[in-house]
Amino acid sequence: MATTTATITLASSDIADNAMSISNTATLYTAGTDTGIVETTGLSRKKFATASEFILLDHGLANSQMADVTADKSCKVYIKNINDRGDGTKYVAVLINSIEIGRLYGGDWMFFPWAGGNDKDIDIDPLDATETTLEYCVFYE
Amino acid sequence: MATTTATITLSSSDLLTDNLSLSSTMSLYKHGTTATGLEQLNYHRAVIPTGTNFTLIQESAALNANPANYVYIVNKNTDVTDYVIVSIRTEVIGRLYAGDWMWIPYSDATTATAGVDDPSGNDSDIEIQAFTHDCTVEYALFHSGETLLTASDS
Repeated sequence: MATTTATITLASSDIADNAMSISNTATLYTAGTDTGIVETTGLSRKKFATASEFILLDHGLANSQMADVTADKSCKVYIKNINDRGDGTKYVAVLINSIEIGRLYGGDWMFFPWAGGNDKDIDIDPLDATETTLEYCVFYE
Repeated sequence: MATTTATITLSSSDLLTDNLSLSSTMSLYKHGTTATGLEQLNYHRAVIPTGTNFTLIQESAALNANPANYVYIVNKNTDVTDYVIVSIRTEVIGRLYAGDWMWIPYSDATTATAGVDDPSGNDSDIEIQAFTHDCTVEYALFHSGETLLTASDS
């Protein structure tokens, strides 16, 4: 098995009366065990310039890595919009099965568990055709 | 405005043939601004009983009006078999097992006609359900405005 950790640190000196610092480290295990996840897509990069929604992670692609992701398994997804923030209006929406989760503006990242399954692809819906680059990585069993 | 950052560090010495070491820091800004930070925060700690799917974060028109919101959830249980399922609207995002955390942007892209208490039930609430045992979660919403409920006795 492998040992892979994901640490988040949320920090602010002025969002509240006192400074805030929240930090947690998760070790990436297979579902319901303390056995480390040993499969990953590695870090990938996707560049696009389209205003149309497209599939970033395709569960329905037979025999693909993402076809292994199902609700009873453990999977974590990291996605980052590496564009510059610009004027703060440009983003890509991230969707699962056409349900919008949220919007990644330039410089934003997200890390979340993914249940996968039929029709549960992770899609990207850009605001417009601005050239955008995403980096992403999936850890799965 | 406030200055708040979120940093992720992914690391492993043995998942790949070479070390994995990735780090990224983002600042939490309002939609449509170049550097105006989100200034409002809700932080909670709650025990989620098994058997029921609960609304964890309530959608509201104010959240949707500024779609640059961010959500953090961590499952503080220690038994590795304990997990919560996190959903948005009708869609399961995934399972957070004991010790797992997640960080997502939250646009609250409401498509239904919903009041402040969401009578339609067809919304973008973030929902949570615990399995195996009750789960203690901590969760935060960073935002720049939410719909406040008028007191019923006002």
